[in-house]
Amino acid sequence: MSDFEPDILTFCCNWCSYAGADLAGVSRLQYPTNSRVIRVMCSSRVEPIHILEALKEGTDGILVTGCHIGDCHYIEGNIHTDERMKEIVDALEHLGLRDRLHLEWVSAAEGKKFQETITDFVEKIRALGPNPLKNNKKEE
Amino acid sequence: MVEVGDKLVGYATDDEVRKRGASGGLVTAVLAAALEKGMVESVVVLKHIDEYEAVPIITDDVEEVLASTGSMHSVPVNLAKYAVDRKVAMPGKPCDIKAVIEQSKRNMIDLDNTYLVGLNCGGTMPPVLTKQMLIEMYDIDPEDVVGEDIEKGKLIYRTKDGNEKAISIEELEEAGFGRRKNCQYCQLKIPTNSDLACGNWGVIGDLAGSATFCEVMNEKGKKLIENAVEAGRIEVAPASDKAIAIREKVNGVMVKMGETTQEKVFTQMPDEERLPYYREALADCIDCGGCKLACPVCSCGDDAKCTLFHSLGDNYKMSMFHLVRLLHLSDSCIGCGQCTDVCPVDIPITRIQMSFSIPVQTKLNYKPGMNADEKPPFFEVMIK
Ligand SMILES: Cc1cc2nc3c(=O)[nH]c(=O)nc-3n(C[C@H](O)[C@H](O)[C@H](O)COP(=O)(O)OP(=O)(O)OC[C@H]3O[C@@H](n4cnc5c(N)ncnc54)[C@H](O)[C@@H]3O)c2cc1C
Ligand code: FES
Repeated sequence: MSDFEPDILTFCCNWCSYAGADLAGVSRLQYPTNSRVIRVMCSSRVEPIHILEALKEGTDGILVTGCHIGDCHYIEGNIHTDERMKEIVDALEHLGLRDRLHLEWVSAAEGKKFQETITDFVEKIRALGPNPLKNNKKEE
Repeated sequence: MVEVGDKLVGYATDDEVRKRGASGGLVTAVLAAALEKGMVESVVVLKHIDEYEAVPIITDDVEEVLASTGSMHSVPVNLAKYAVDRKVAMPGKPCDIKAVIEQSKRNMIDLDNTYLVGLNCGGTMPPVLTKQMLIEMYDIDPEDVVGEDIEKGKLIYRTKDGNEKAISIEELEEAGFGRRKNCQYCQLKIPTNSDLACGNWGVIGDLAGSATFCEVMNEKGKKLIENAVEAGRIEVAPASDKAIAIREKVNGVMVKMGETTQEKVFTQMPDEERLPYYREALADCIDCGGCKLACPVCSCGDDAKCTLFHSLGDNYKMSMFHLVRLLHLSDSCIGCGQCTDVCPVDIPITRIQMSFSIPVQTKLNYKPGMNADEKPPFFEVMIK
């Protein structure tokens, strides 16, 4: 398991957490390269389908990030995100995919927090091992 | 005069209807009166073919309504979608009514125009398995059956030659027969979500077997009863305290049984067994889409997320179709069992869905199909 490098997908909202990621970059903060970022206008754009599709395709962990509650640029978008993610986290737990989805609020000023969030999450998933849905084509 | 909340015992004034009726023919008479008096444009009833088969029909012919008496215990059809876009009165088991209410929340059915005559239900049986049960457990030719009864926990079949045979339901269910699996853990036996909750529990004394107990659940139920009395189709009288107590008691026992079975069926699986279980169970899926079509809660139509994001070409064990449906219905599944019934490869979809839905609905403290004013929690995030 030592050579397992997790594939992480990170959703960032355009206004806060993507700017946070930018800040981490321009501040030259180092964090693991396992994560791919997808920018969405608001964290609430992330649908259950996106998460399921990513997991089905073998992504080991999914990080959803957005503005802090109260700071969402669409007023209450992230409140929807919050409720929705809680349910999906629960559902994934029922499915046996516990801890593979994580939600974190990161503001534009929190480059450091972005770095830490990614680093922690990658380590957590590394410890968890590969997504059991990887290579899940029907065996003949 | 009849009031909301009244508990009545009544029967059809037409002797023929009363005799043929499951208990007192009241349901049939109420439906016929609603049609006759123009309360509705049509009525949904079951047209009998034989003991194990009946088809739902939408009719505006009073005669056809009057011919539909009797309870079909081996016809686990769900009637909800027949009410979509129509001004109907319909009978319904608790799960039929639940589905109607869920459809109304999705703007498919206008409850103001739909009259729901609920039937108490201890459970339905799968027709094919029931025939097999008759042969294997009862040693009876299914074609010889002329009637059935449930008494003191026993399922009794009467045959052409005048004989009858009783076996306890517990024994039948242990042998894998009896009620459909989802009925065994269903916990709504009296359709308190309907307009008029009818059944034979609580019909005692001389009237036993020839009257129907009914509880007026709301204004629409009151209208149904008043209309039928006015039309001269039924006679009703208040139920005695003893009758009410008996009905409560039997219901209590049945609900308790459902709860116990649910606890048994849905034991928590250890984490590492879950995914293998779901993958194994869903691996046989042949993508027929029958479960989605049959689902009486679903109102998505052809282009739904579960189909649009699904690709046959993937050939995945864990199809997006099922994943999306699991999530999508987790707050709203009513556990009616239709998806399991139609599955051509015998995937216990209802059970899989319910193992998802029960914890979600418990946590959200939401009971789908009970209250039309309570929107599904996943429809809208309540901003506190
Ligand atoms: C599957 C089933 C289980 C039942 N279990 C109980 C029970 O445990 N305890 C109890 O008190 N009562 C139960 N009932 C209700 C009872 O059998 C009578 O239906 C009720 O007392 C009304 O009697 P009635 O003579 O007024 O109805 P009728 O005048 O005979 O009218 C019966 C109506 O029910 C409709 N119907 C028949 N079969 C079905 C079906 N499978 N699904 C939907 N609609 C149907 C018919 O179309 C008809 O309109 C059950 C009914 C069903 C259908
Ligand atoms: S815009 Fe950042 S969460 Fe909505």
